[in-house]
Formats: sequence, C-alpha cells, structure tokens
Amino acid sequence: MNRALQRTPLWRQVPRTGVPIPSLSSFSSLSSSSPLPWLSSSQSRRTYAFQASSPPTHQVFNRHTKWLQRERAAADVEGSREVDYLKDEVAMRLCERLWDIKRDFPSVLDFGANTCNIARALTRPFPNPNSDPNSSSSADELPDELPPLASRIGHLLAVDSSAAQLHRDASLPFNSALSLTREVLPDEETTFPYADNTFDLVLSSLSLHWINDLPGVLAQINRVLKPDCAFVGAMLGGDTLYELRTSLQLAEHERRGGVSPHLSPLADVRDVGGLLQRAGFRMLTVDVDDLVVDYPDSFALMRDLQAMGEGNAVLGREMGPLRREVLLAADAIYRALHGNPDGSLPATFRTIYMIGWKASEDQAQPLPRGSGEVNLKDILEKK
Amino acid sequence: MPSPRPRPIQKFATAVSQCSAEAAVYGKCIVADYNSVYKDKCADEFMKLKDCYLKQAKKTR
Repeated sequence: MNRALQRTPLWRQVPRTGVPIPSLSSFSSLSSSSPLPWLSSSQSRRTYAFQASSPPTHQVFNRHTKWLQRERAAADVEGSREVDYLKDEVAMRLCERLWDIKRDFPSVLDFGANTCNIARALTRPFPNPNSDPNSSSSADELPDELPPLASRIGHLLAVDSSAAQLHRDASLPFNSALSLTREVLPDEETTFPYADNTFDLVLSSLSLHWINDLPGVLAQINRVLKPDCAFVGAMLGGDTLYELRTSLQLAEHERRGGVSPHLSPLADVRDVGGLLQRAGFRMLTVDVDDLVVDYPDSFALMRDLQAMGEGNAVLGREMGPLRREVLLAADAIYRALHGNPDGSLPATFRTIYMIGWKASEDQAQPLPRGSGEVNLKDILEKK
Repeated sequence: MPSPRPRPIQKFATAVSQCSAEAAVYGKCIVADYNSVYKDKCADEFMKLKDCYLKQAKKTR
C-alpha cells in the first residue's frame, strides 16, 4: 500500500464541530465561512493554489425539506387557505407599490409565487387612497375604487418549485380575470430557464427568505429583466418572529442547557440594500413594514406557520419535533415576556419591501465628479 | 359526519391552557433575569407546571 495514502491529510484531522449556527448577519458574510468545495473529493488533490470559478455559496436552508413542507401544507387545501392571511396581505401591499409606476407591463414574472397570492391581489379592486369620503368635490373626479391592476398587465408567469402550492387555487374565479400561466421549476434557486431581457416587471412575495444564494438569484432576476424595468419584492427579515425565537431559546436553554436553531437566520434591511446593489440594480428603494398578528397561544402560531409551509428548514437543526417540555416552557415564557394584557400573544412579521431598477442608458445618470458649481457649504451656512 | 381526530398538539394546548397560574410563576422566574439563564435555573417552578399539565392531560383523556 502506498505510504502516502495511509497518512491522513492534515485537513481531515480537524474535528468537525457541526454546522455553525448562522448569525443574523450571515448574508453579508456569504463567502467567508463556507467549506471549501474540494474537501469532499479526496480523489484528485491539488498541490497548488487556485481561484474558485464562482464564490461558494453558504448553505443555510435545506431546500428539499422546504419543498416537502410546502407540498404537504398545500395538500390540505382548506387548512392552507385559512392561513393565507399573511401572504395575501403582503401581496396586496406589494401590489400597492405598482400604482407608483405609470406604465403597462406586457410580460410579468412572479418569482416564488406560493399560491399565486400576487395574481389574486392584482385582480382585486383597489381602494383609492386619494378619495376622501367626507369631501364631495373630489369625489366627482376620483372614484372610490381604482380598477384592478390586472388591466395594466399583459401576461403573468407564476413560477414556483412546489406544484401543489402553485396549482392549489387553479380553479378559482380570479384565474380568468388576467392572463396567467403557472410553471413548476425543479428548484427556483438553481434553474432559471429564461432568456436575457425577457420581462417588463419581476415580482416576488414572501419566498426569497428561503433562498440560499440570494446574491445569485437577484443577479438572475436582474438578467431576465429588460433594461430600465423594475423588480419589486417582499421578503421576511429582521425581527420577524423575534418573540418566538427568544422564548424558544430561553426555554431550551433552561430546560436542556443549550439551543438549536428553530428559526431561520434572516436578512436585515441593511443587507438587502447591499444585496440589490451587488446584483446590479439601480435606484433602490427599501422599506420595512411590521405586521403584528395576535394568537391565543404559541401552539396556534406554530400550527399556522406549519400550515403556511413555513416550518423550520435550517440545515443543522435538531431533527424531530420539539420536546413537550420545551413547548411547555416556551409557551409560559412567551406569555411572561411578550404577552398582551388581554392574554393573547403577539407575533411580529417584519416584511422588507424592495424595488430595484435594471440599469439602462436612458436612466438619469449621476453627474461626473467635480462638476458641481454651487458649494453646499455656502447654502448650509447661509441658513 | 364525525369530526376528525384532534391533533395531539390541540390536546396539549388545551391541557396547558388550564395551568396559567403555574405558567405565570415559571415565566416570571425566567424573565426576572433572562440574561443569565442556565440549565435547571427554574427547575422547581417548572416541575410544578409539569405536574399541573400532567394532571390536566389525564383529566381530558
């Protein structure tokens, strides 16, 4: 036997400490801590340094587990429809932003469509924010309800990896109100079978928070957009479900002496701005919106999350259900730490809305450096 | 048509909801100093809560 083969290479002796629990800021340090891709193949070992062709992506979520959870959730049609309140509300608020873009959109992509919540929101009549029910003068010009946005949309392509989610509401009446095609992708994170400059608008509502390679996906979205066209997205981030996160952590810590990740690491507002910029978007708008939902107990919250298909899919989580001891302790801590005076438990869903435009020659460009003629200091000091 | 079998978590939630007094005591114990929680910090309070839950769970069965 070859002597060189008997010796264990140095890097094999490094004890594996398990998957590190990703921190909240893990999105900004994507390339720093992921395992090197050649560790797994001991067949061909290189003795020279080389540069990886693409930066390795930090795997945070098990995409297959996520797919299973979402398929299973949508299989229970009625139970799944009952918990659409969150995704419908966010889709409505996302579509509100389209009123600010005075354009028609011949071809639109809904990336990570869930149950086509965006299509449903687009077909709803929209209450006019400018109409004032008290004053009679403005009511003549402005109707109380604006026509649904679907009239400005030529064709909507809804893509998702979960066929059960995507086709759940295929027989409902809203489908005939706009031209809608559903397409199941094997994995929306890795497959993106669209040509460059295809779409006039890309929408995405509450699915980006399960994407491992967020910079890559955003770059793909930027690629398929036509120049000077917008991406409008919403994702959960920041302090979403911090109440549940903290009470589970405290409960596990006190009961079992350690914690395991039960909630995903989430992108922060700061990260989203950087991500969009890195993907090549211009004229960014990022804003945050908190939705607080009250639940009777923490079990109702967890049941609803499961029915939404939003269960835990973090890599390196503890397998199997939560222990009853931890559940019991977490409910008591949730109540003591965050509970409302009336006995209900609040759960915060922090949605980050983002708008980015693909670069184009026609857009207003910043003036070259040093071309300013007025000194800002003069204006500020005159005041 | 008979109603479907309730999920175990529903039975669990009903039993736990009967023990709000014990849960409040346990919660207060943790929240009093939640920056330095260690294993079995509130073991006594938790055992009282657990006993109450077990009693209620037997009752509803």
